[in-house]
Amino acid sequence: MKNAVAGLGLAPDAAMVTFPIDMFLPGSDLAPLKARKREFYNGLTRWQPDFTRSAAGVNPMLAVEGASYEDALVKANNLLLTNLWGDGLPLWPATRERMDWIIRGTVLPRTHVLGKFPPRGGITTVETCAIALAMAGGRPEYLPVLIAAVEACFDPTTNFEQLQAASGGAFPVIIVNGPIAKQIRLNSGFGCLGPDPQRPAGAGIGRALRLLQQNVGGALPGIGTMANYGGMRYTNVVFAEDEEGLPPGWASHAAERHGFAPDANAVSLVFANGMTNIRRRGAKKETPEEDTVNGLWRIADFMRTPNLAGLNGWEQGTPGILMFPRVVAQTMAGLGWSKAKIREFLWENSKIPMAQMKRAGGPAWIEIDANPVTRASLELDPWPITMKPDNIVLIVAGGSHPTNSYWLQGYSPRVIGREIRVPEAFDRLLADADRDLGCGSDACMI
Amino acid sequence: MMAKLEFHDPSGALEVTQPHAPRLASLEGKRIGFVSNEQWQAFRMLPMLKEMLEEDFPGIEVLPVDAFPQGNALIGTEETAALVKQSGVDGVIVANAA
Repeated sequence: MKNAVAGLGLAPDAAMVTFPIDMFLPGSDLAPLKARKREFYNGLTRWQPDFTRSAAGVNPMLAVEGASYEDALVKANNLLLTNLWGDGLPLWPATRERMDWIIRGTVLPRTHVLGKFPPRGGITTVETCAIALAMAGGRPEYLPVLIAAVEACFDPTTNFEQLQAASGGAFPVIIVNGPIAKQIRLNSGFGCLGPDPQRPAGAGIGRALRLLQQNVGGALPGIGTMANYGGMRYTNVVFAEDEEGLPPGWASHAAERHGFAPDANAVSLVFANGMTNIRRRGAKKETPEEDTVNGLWRIADFMRTPNLAGLNGWEQGTPGILMFPRVVAQTMAGLGWSKAKIREFLWENSKIPMAQMKRAGGPAWIEIDANPVTRASLELDPWPITMKPDNIVLIVAGGSHPTNSYWLQGYSPRVIGREIRVPEAFDRLLADADRDLGCGSDACMI
Repeated sequence: MMAKLEFHDPSGALEVTQPHAPRLASLEGKRIGFVSNEQWQAFRMLPMLKEMLEEDFPGIEVLPVDAFPQGNALIGTEETAALVKQSGVDGVIVANAA
């Protein structure tokens, strides 16, 4: 609640009487309300704010001392954690020296305000982003991607304030297109959604974004975010599209969805709240055509579930991100499957019969949706999980192996694109990365 | 020799842009309203709070729970704020369950 009022520009210690969830359940004991009635009365009559911190846009310095550097580092980590600014994994304190290094990754002034991070409303400057990236173990060449991702989050159509706080547990998925992906060692191949010591950029950028969500946005579990489970919230999801693996005629995601030039550096932000592997390949002597169609059916059958995850973005967002490895995309393209044809197949065959929707209580959620276009979809039988095929995000990424595809379940009112701006001296940062991390990203290819 | 580490507070500054309303000297004889998002047990809790206020403060007038628009989609609108102002209430209790 402090987050909510602070995010509205009120003093964060505004007069509030809060109760745990028990009292809000049907048939609950309301005695606590009576016992605490004086708090309501005092809130209307006596309360005065204690909040004094000004909004100078300056991030003050903290200090710890230890018997050795390691001791001081432990104390710094303890201080960060006890102030609720950590995620439980070791952090790099954002010292002046580390900050001066990280901040080299941007063209923007350090004090440039990107926005206020909801729901708490913490003022987010370029410096605030650099602090989070420093703490996350990031590098300066990651900063342009992080800033673009934050800008995308702040797009007024994302409904970010609600997504940050809601129980559905949305997490940002950042899809990167353009040459910057390979330059900064961002994975698009084997294991691209997980840790990779040869391509560590996704972990650093995603963790920094999560630290911003928590430290600046106030999304603390059970307090600022009511996410039941909070999956993928250590690092969110940051990966690159495998542009070199795109079949002829298949546009990149950034070009297709956002209209960016084919060689533009760009991020695309999708919110998701689930992810699953779908075994796509056949097991016996299927022809290529049978293998393709069987796999698409298996995916459509999985998508055809009345869990209403995609309701948030039914009209203009997405029901999810479907990922194909390059070998599968190229085989399908060779058989005449364009991106549009794949989407059309999946959209048509993932429609849910209204009888099934009713059995699962789905129509009630559609009836109360805030979007009248979504509410009107109740007339449709079978019910399409999204308004149009183009809403389905189709990405070529993942290791070049034909067995699996991946579905990131969307929870995303919109899909937001932002161009990535790099500083003039970006090449120097990349040279530094080669020096620090050994071989360049090309040489590291498995 | 002690090692010292200085580092940035990562939490970002807050800006108070909405001053709080002056508090009331007393609730006696005052007019109080509810603005509710109507979630969960609001239909039980808020009438109970109304009763307690009426018992404890002589001359207080507590408007019915549904005197103003209710629900998440309506309570934050400028229209609702205008209705609250027009009603002449001295204070408002905002009920927000999520």
